[in-house]
Formats: sequence, structure tokens, C-alpha cells
Amino acid sequence: MIERLQRRGVVELQNIEDENLMKLNTAASISQFEKARSTAVSALTVLNRYCPKKSALKDLTFSRRAVEKHEFGKTAEKIDQYMNTAYRINALERKIGESLTDISKCKVRMDSLKPWMALDIPQNFGGTRSTACFIGTVRGFYTADTLNADFHDRAVFEVIHAEKDRTELAVFCHRTAADEVLKNLRENYDFTAVSDPTSVTPDEETKALAEKAAALNRQMEDCRKELQSFCGSRENLEFAADYFAMRKEKYEAIKKLGVTNKTFILTGFIPAKYADKLLKELESRFTVAVRIYDPDDDEDVPVLLQNSRFSEPVEGITEMYALPNKHDIDPTGVMAFFYYLFFGMMLSDAGYGLLMIIGTTVALHKFQFEYKMRRTLKMFQYCGISTVFWGALFGSWFGDIIPVVANNFFGANMSASDLSLWFNPIDDPMRLLLFSFILGIAHLFLGLGTNFYILWRDGKRMDAVCDVIPIMLTVLGAAPLAGNILSPVPQWATTVGEYMAVVGVIAIVLTAGRSSKNIFMRFFGGIYGLYNTATGYLSDILSYSRLLALGLATGQIASVINLIGTMPQNPVAKAILLIVVFLVGHTANLAINLLGAYVHTDRLQFVELFSKFYEGGGRAFEPLGVHTDYIKFKEEN
Amino acid sequence: MTFGVALAILGAALAALMAGIGSAKGVGLVGEAAAGVVSVDPSKFSKMLILQLLPGTQGLYGLLTAVLLLSRIGVIGGNMAAITSAQGFAFLAAALPIGIVGLFSGIAQGKTAAAGVGIVAKKPEESGKGVIMAAMVETYAILALLVSILAIYNIKF
Repeated sequence: MIERLQRRGVVELQNIEDENLMKLNTAASISQFEKARSTAVSALTVLNRYCPKKSALKDLTFSRRAVEKHEFGKTAEKIDQYMNTAYRINALERKIGESLTDISKCKVRMDSLKPWMALDIPQNFGGTRSTACFIGTVRGFYTADTLNADFHDRAVFEVIHAEKDRTELAVFCHRTAADEVLKNLRENYDFTAVSDPTSVTPDEETKALAEKAAALNRQMEDCRKELQSFCGSRENLEFAADYFAMRKEKYEAIKKLGVTNKTFILTGFIPAKYADKLLKELESRFTVAVRIYDPDDDEDVPVLLQNSRFSEPVEGITEMYALPNKHDIDPTGVMAFFYYLFFGMMLSDAGYGLLMIIGTTVALHKFQFEYKMRRTLKMFQYCGISTVFWGALFGSWFGDIIPVVANNFFGANMSASDLSLWFNPIDDPMRLLLFSFILGIAHLFLGLGTNFYILWRDGKRMDAVCDVIPIMLTVLGAAPLAGNILSPVPQWATTVGEYMAVVGVIAIVLTAGRSSKNIFMRFFGGIYGLYNTATGYLSDILSYSRLLALGLATGQIASVINLIGTMPQNPVAKAILLIVVFLVGHTANLAINLLGAYVHTDRLQFVELFSKFYEGGGRAFEPLGVHTDYIKFKEEN
Repeated sequence: MTFGVALAILGAALAALMAGIGSAKGVGLVGEAAAGVVSVDPSKFSKMLILQLLPGTQGLYGLLTAVLLLSRIGVIGGNMAAITSAQGFAFLAAALPIGIVGLFSGIAQGKTAAAGVGIVAKKPEESGKGVIMAAMVETYAILALLVSILAIYNIKF
């Protein structure tokens, strides 16, 4: 039954803590599965190094391999074999590592022997019956002659190797003089004997070391070859890793159950839309008693978003901010329309929009993406449609490429504004700025309205009216007065605006401080509230000027690109340069402005809209399911 | 060429220059921080690239302002206008907001985005928040750009 629930992936289990029930201790199995899984994963990492995955276009989709259920059962029988492969791969990798260390040890020893190559006796040679021999290093540069002279021929020196600050030498003397010579050497010449002398000559030892290193190298090569022979088992290892991940998840679920001698009980959350289906399925297959009920108010309920097809694609944006808590309403549906609208307005080039639509549509049809990726692509598809809409209104198709080509190659006399269905922003930026502010006010009022709805729904009707209506009056009233600065507003609008603003301001002063009892505190609270409202909403509204600025930036940079392309006089050179500059320039411009439009649309939603009504802080719904990295089950039965 | 035209070109140069320096410093800051993370986990490259690009927009705004100014006075794509010294000063002044704000906001945004690199490194699923925090800084560059463009288009001659 747990396996079935896991495959359905719609139930989030709760840990049952009841002293009358027993718990199954699965900790040992869980850690065993985790160990097996990490073995398979580390074997996979090794394989990735020795046989790099061919990066087919298919891999770009980051989707998992689909496996039939009966196939899964068959493959699972071979799991021991797969694990043996994994162990073998890890062992080979360890062996390679050890060989590498040994080889570098050989190299170090060979380096330390290098100065001694001219020595034709073993380094541990101590002398004969009557002759003593010291082999070692002194500090400083010496020749045999100077040393012989220094020791007044009480010892014979042979310099094996000398360089600026050290000299390797062999010293021979009579045994009776040995102590005196050695003392002199140590005290006056900083003599140190060879630290780890061997019984073969340096030359012989070097040869032996070289052979050892070569053998290790061959062994390593063999290991590498064997590793490469495992390239074909990548899929099996992926299967093993996922198999154990699933087993682990299952046993973690079993740990949460409460059991008696003969029965077990599990509780958990299920989205209401799946409840009936799962109930029927469980009752038809198992001997169970299932009860489905709404959660209590004080329960820690997880959150799963559900939206219409229009707003579902922007769920990812909500998730990025924070999931709604119990008292919130899901902001996805609230922001969806403005999300697409603002995105299009900031990118505002019909050519770029067309590219987005074509790119996302092709990708969605050609590849099997995972759900979240599909949702994101869908969002960019809708944003692309909006971008084409705005681009056509402003007459921007890859900047002004159409008039540029027509004027330069076909002798036409078009201006960039001829194509616009509405107007070209650069001809009248003030008009678009004003329009941006109007859209901004609509967006803010949407947030305020939602807040009104939430407060009203929760029975705080007084708060709903006092927190929302005066602000709306003030903003609506002040808008024509401020707009008058930018462009002329009809007389009646400013007059009405004056009265509305005055009423709104008075209402704010009277109501904003209503939480305190003291009359003076109330008054100052009101003034403070007015100050907050004025500065807050002024900066909120000004923030929407980015709709104009980013739109202008896209279009104007696109036009600059086209301008650079048409600089040469010669028509052929001009055509070639234009094509090159067009391809490179517009790719870069699209990339940067796509990022800009995305980031700043998010910001307008998060900072300007969400701050009006949204708290967030919900916990994501995390059902018991198949959480694997490489394989997934095909949808069946 | 009149003295006015020279002043206007100085304005265009300052816009591209200062905003460009700001962006270069900002992008560089993020790149330094990002390279460390990518050296450990190369799969985070694309997320890092987004963060690194963020402080790059000031330079573009500076370029945009410079080109708009140059085309307005006819230095590119037309006949050079004979503008007076006063008008030249006006153009120079109009270019200053994006130049100066671009310089400082580019650096500040770079620092914020570099801090966001830490979010991507430790909690990749929360990386969107790092992007948003860096985008907050850009607001002021956008406002400055707006003032510069509006001024350039509304200087009469």
C-alpha cells in the first residue's frame, strides 16, 4: 500500500506520535539504502569522468528517462549485479588513486637520488675494516682539493655533486681518525649523513624505481581501460541510484506509521481533487478503512498551488517569493495578467517577441520537459505574445530594421514611426511615461483591492474600509494634479482631483492612528500614516517609470545596432556588415533585455503589488512520491 | 563646430564613460565571487551568469544616453546642429544623472549581486531572491536614465 501511495505521489504523510501505538524502526534499512545509493552515485561520477556523456540535444531538456512499471520490476531483479559493477568501479577508482600516490612517491625518491648518480657505491656503505666512510651533504660549495687541504690529508674527499649552496660528498679516513673527522665535519661544515640510505648504488636504485613506476603506470592504464569498458552500464547505475533512493523514501514513510500487532495506521494530507479517486482505489485493492476530512484550523497544512491555465505559468514566480500561508490568498491569479502585460511592455519589440514564441513553442512540442520547466517555458510563451502586442503598438520590429533596410537598399523614405499602430515612444516619451504611471496605479489598486477583499472576508470590515478607501481617494485625487505637470489635464479632472485628495488626506489623518486610545497619539499616528502613505505611494508609482525606461532601452539599443550595421557607403559591404551585426547584436540585446524584463517584472510584482496584501510563509506540499534523479515512471493504469 | 557642440559631446562621453566604469567594476566584482563557486560546482554557471549580468545594465544605459544625445545634436546620422554654449551646457547637464548614478549604482549593484552569489552557492533553489535584491539597486539607475532621456529630448534648439 505504501508503494502504491508512493507511485501516486499525492499524499503527504504525517508522523504519528501516539503512545498506544508501536513504531517500526527502519533506521538501519534507511542508512543501508542511503549507503548503496551513494555508492552508485559515486560510481556514476567516476564514469562521468572516464566516459563523458555525449551532450545530445535531448540532454538539454534535463528530463528523466521514462520507465514502464513492469520493466522496472524486471530490472530491479538485477540490482545486485548493478551494485557489483558500482563496487568494482569504485574499487578501480581507488586503485588508480593509490597508484598515482605511489608513482609520485617514486618520482620524489628519484629526484632525491639525482645528485648522487655519480656515486658508484651504495649510500649505506660504512667503510672497510680499517677505513671509515661517511656519505652525506655539507652546506656550501666545495671542491675535493680545498677540503683535502682543510683536513690536512687526514681524510680523503670525493665530491659527488656540488652546487651553489650544497655539496654531496663521500669522505674516507682511517678508523682511528673517524670520530675527529666526523666531529669537525658536523661542527664546521654542517654535515648531514644521507637520511635514508639503501644497500644498492643510486644508479641501480633509480633504475628499479623507474621500472616500478612504469609497472604502476601500466596497472593504472589497465584500470582505466576496465573503467571505460563499463561506459555502457551508466543507465544501470542510474537505475540503481534511483532504485535505492525510492526504497529509502519508502522506508522513511514506513517510519511514520503507527502499528499494532495486526494493523497499521497512517495519516496525511491529500489535495481535495485527488481524494475521491485515491479513496476508491485504496478501498478496491486493500482491506482498509479510509476517512477523508477537512483539516482543523490549527493544523500545519502544507500548500499546493492550483490555478487556471492562464495564470498557472507564473506560479513559479509566486514560489520564488514565498508560498501563501493559511490566511493569504494565492497571489498567482492576481498578478498573472499584469505579469504578462509588464513583461511585454519592458521588452516591447515584436521581433524579439516572435522569437520567444517560436522558440518556446518548438521546445514545448519537440521535447518532453519536466513539469516545472514546461511551466516556465509556457510563461515565456505568453510573455512573448504580450511582447509582440506591445512591439506592434510601438512599431518596433528588431528595432527599426524594416525602415533601415527599406531606406538603405530600396531607396524608400520610411521613418521608424510609420510602423507603429499606436505611437513611437521616442517621439513622445512623456505620453508613455504618463501611461506607465496609469498602469502602475491600476496595478497598485489591484493590490489594495485584494487587501480589501481579504480584510472584508475575515470580518475586519472596519479595517478594510479605513485602510484602503482613503488611500485610493488620495492617490486618485493627486494623480490628475501631478499629471498636470507632465502634460495638460482637463480642468474638471484637476478640480475633482483636488476635492478627492483633500477628503482622502483628511480620512487618512483621522483613521490611520485609530489603534491607539490616546487622542494625541491618534492625531500623530494619523499624521505619520499620511507621511507614510504619501512617500510610499509616490515612490511606488515612480517605480513604474521602468516600464518606459526599459522599453526605450530595448528599442533604442536595437536601433543603434542597426545603425552600426549601415555605416559603410558601399551597398555590398553595408549588406554584409548589417547581416553580421544584426545577428550578433540582436542576440546580445535580446539576452540582456530578456533578463532585464524578467527581473524588473518580478520586482514590480514582489515589491509594489505583494506588499499591499501578501504575507507568504506557507509550507510546500511534499507528498510521498518517487523523487528520483534519472528515471521516472511512465503514466499508466 | 561650436563650443556648444563640444560641451554636448563631453556630456555624451561622460554618460558612456562613468556608467561604463560602474558596470565594469560591478560585473568584475560578481565575476570574481562567481568564479570561486563555479570552480567547485560548474553546473551553477548559468545561474552565476545571470547574477553577473545584472550590474551590466548601467553601462548599456550610459551607451543609450550617449547615442541618443549624439543623434539628437546630429553628430551621428545627420547634420551637426549649431547649438549655443548654453544649450551645450544643458546637454552636458542632462547626461550627468545616468553618468554619476550609473557609476555608483553599478558598483553597489555589483556588491549586492556578489553577495547573492553566496545564496546561489548555499541554497540554489532560493537564487531568485538574490537576483531580486540586486535588481533593487538598479531602480535608481533607471530613474536617472529616465531623467537624462527626458531632458535630452526636451532641450529646445
